[in-house]
Amino acid sequence: MSILQSIKNAVRSRSIHVSYIDVGSCNGCDIEVLACLAPRYDIEQYGIYVHNNPREADILLVIGSVTPQWVDKLRSIWDKIPEPKAAVAIGNCPISGCVYARKGSLTTPPVKNYIPIAAEVPGCPPRPTEILSAILSVAPLIFKDYEEKQS
Amino acid sequence: MKKTVDVSIPLGPMHPCWKEPVRLKCETAGERVLHTEVELGYMKKGIERIMRGRPWQEVMFLAERVCGICSVVHNMVFIEAMEGISDIAVPPRAAYLRVVANELDRIASHLIANFSYCYTIEHETLAMYLLNTRETVLDNLERLTGSRINTAYMIPGGVRFDLLPEDAAVMLADLAKVEDELKRYVRIFETGPLIGLRSRGIGCMSRVDAIRAHTVGPTARASGVEDCDLRLRHPTYRALDFEQVTRTEGDNFARVMVRFQEVFQSIDLIRRCVDTLPAGRIRGGGLCRAGEISYSGEAPRGELTYTIKTDDFGRVVDIAIRTPSIMNIEACAHYMVADAASIADVTSTFISSDPCIACNER
Amino acid sequence: MRSIIYYVREFLRPEWLKKFFFVKTAPLVTPPYFKGYPTRTEKECTGCFTCMMICPAPEAIAVLRRKERWEPEVYPGHCIRCGLCVEACPEGVLSSGRVMEVAGRDATAFWHSYHLEVDESLCMRCGNCCVACPINRQIDPRLAGTGTSTSDDVIMRVKGGRVQILHEEKCTGCKTCETQCPSGAMRVARMVEGVQFLDGVGS
Repeated sequence: MSILQSIKNAVRSRSIHVSYIDVGSCNGCDIEVLACLAPRYDIEQYGIYVHNNPREADILLVIGSVTPQWVDKLRSIWDKIPEPKAAVAIGNCPISGCVYARKGSLTTPPVKNYIPIAAEVPGCPPRPTEILSAILSVAPLIFKDYEEKQS
Repeated sequence: MKKTVDVSIPLGPMHPCWKEPVRLKCETAGERVLHTEVELGYMKKGIERIMRGRPWQEVMFLAERVCGICSVVHNMVFIEAMEGISDIAVPPRAAYLRVVANELDRIASHLIANFSYCYTIEHETLAMYLLNTRETVLDNLERLTGSRINTAYMIPGGVRFDLLPEDAAVMLADLAKVEDELKRYVRIFETGPLIGLRSRGIGCMSRVDAIRAHTVGPTARASGVEDCDLRLRHPTYRALDFEQVTRTEGDNFARVMVRFQEVFQSIDLIRRCVDTLPAGRIRGGGLCRAGEISYSGEAPRGELTYTIKTDDFGRVVDIAIRTPSIMNIEACAHYMVADAASIADVTSTFISSDPCIACNER
Repeated sequence: MRSIIYYVREFLRPEWLKKFFFVKTAPLVTPPYFKGYPTRTEKECTGCFTCMMICPAPEAIAVLRRKERWEPEVYPGHCIRCGLCVEACPEGVLSSGRVMEVAGRDATAFWHSYHLEVDESLCMRCGNCCVACPINRQIDPRLAGTGTSTSDDVIMRVKGGRVQILHEEKCTGCKTCETQCPSGAMRVARMVEGVQFLDGVGS
């Protein structure tokens, strides 16, 4: 029913619960995500609540290039998140491995090979303004007509 | 002999309090935590292996990305080690600008550490105040170097960009504002009764234990260890009359207060640097040559050592990085949380020792 | 009672009241002095590849030939925004934040030189390095398939059963020889030095 779907779209674009997972990064992007929570670039005013619980999350922020220990655990955490869900890659590490994509490294980027990624924010690290504008532009589109796309 | 514990609780890789994945296995008997074991390995990327055979302009960026919070000091220690191998002299203006960038990064790192501690104690108001203050500091770092984190400001022979007088004036005005705000926040932290309940007397580590466990940095200085600040041996800091900050209690409260006092000291150092900034060139040039060196510097978390061996054309043949968190985390697990009263104390003590897991397992 | 007075005093500070009623979060703009992704200016790129040589991130910048012109292309998912390519370009084709104007004001630059070395115990004299080198191909179009050459102007050639390096100064540091060497005998060292030309403009 389209009215129900439009209500769902409206609610899902305004109230998003986010959980972030660090699969082996330098912590720079992590700190920039925390800076988004700071009162200066307040991300909670848009209804985006960052806690750290995969069971209650809608969006998973993936940070870091995949280290050997996380190869199986990343997939199991992704499976724990209830539908509807999406993953957003923050920083250069999940996209391409940043400077770690050289011979002799233990990481196996990109994260796209392990879980499906819906959006990417490039940068090393991306500025909080860039993270926020990317998330805000993606928020109404990510869960739009989710049920109709599934069927 | 069979060991009996009630429950072994894992404080797992994903936890709301810590930003990096690390596992703490706590063995409990009822509510008391008897023994804690730290399990690392979730962040191992093999950075030292990637660095082999590369010239300084690529290794410098890898060294910075060992840890994103203290990235400027990794840059500085690596570059100063390369200069030590090849006997490259740094012009005095560049040395002072390096100190300015280093101290700005140190303020940012200490504010993040204290934010982390206040967030763990669930005092979210003070935590957000501190994070907001950090934004002003990062603004100034951006004005000086061009980016907030992972700045890549120092190169062998000097620094990359110069500091304009109008930017210096804005920096000093911002730092005065930061100092005023921080005085208020330190007063809130010192006099808050609930903060005191969760910090004073929790996670005590005596001076003898601190020396035996080889702790470094503010964790050691809060337990009363003297002469463990490597900035006392650096020529530029000695010219600026640097003195170490020490406290004697050795509990969570002392560690957080040591970091606050170091922030005030850093603001003072930056003011002295900017006021006595010598004129001159900012780059002295110099090619990297063959040699071996083991150089230590003072990161915000303690003593950072780079052992480098290069070949004739400046490429790194062998490198070993020893970061401060390795010692501090083990000291925390064995001495500070031994026989803690509850799991809540374990998390707050662990965060108060300022672990940086990415530094730990590059 | 004392804590109530404390709270009342905290919340009646004028700056707290002003912030409570009138503050807005910062606008989502990037300041002009932030080192963003390098963008192309109108200067003409000569295809010298210095930016590619100095770039520390793998596959971040590539200089492509499009429609009779060379154009440097930056890939955002790989570039770490260090600003080295902006500073190193001799023509000023790339620009990012304040880096170009600061480099001009301070008269700073990066000097680069390249050194070639062959490990004689690993080299199998296949000639891949000499054939793959783009400068060799430009200088001597009649370069043979095994790396021998009659010209004395090439950078290196296979002669007398070993690789002879003649003109190291012509090397542009692209490392094509190193990637094509099957045994890892050929190694190129990129040596970069940060210099400043005049005696400082700071005060």
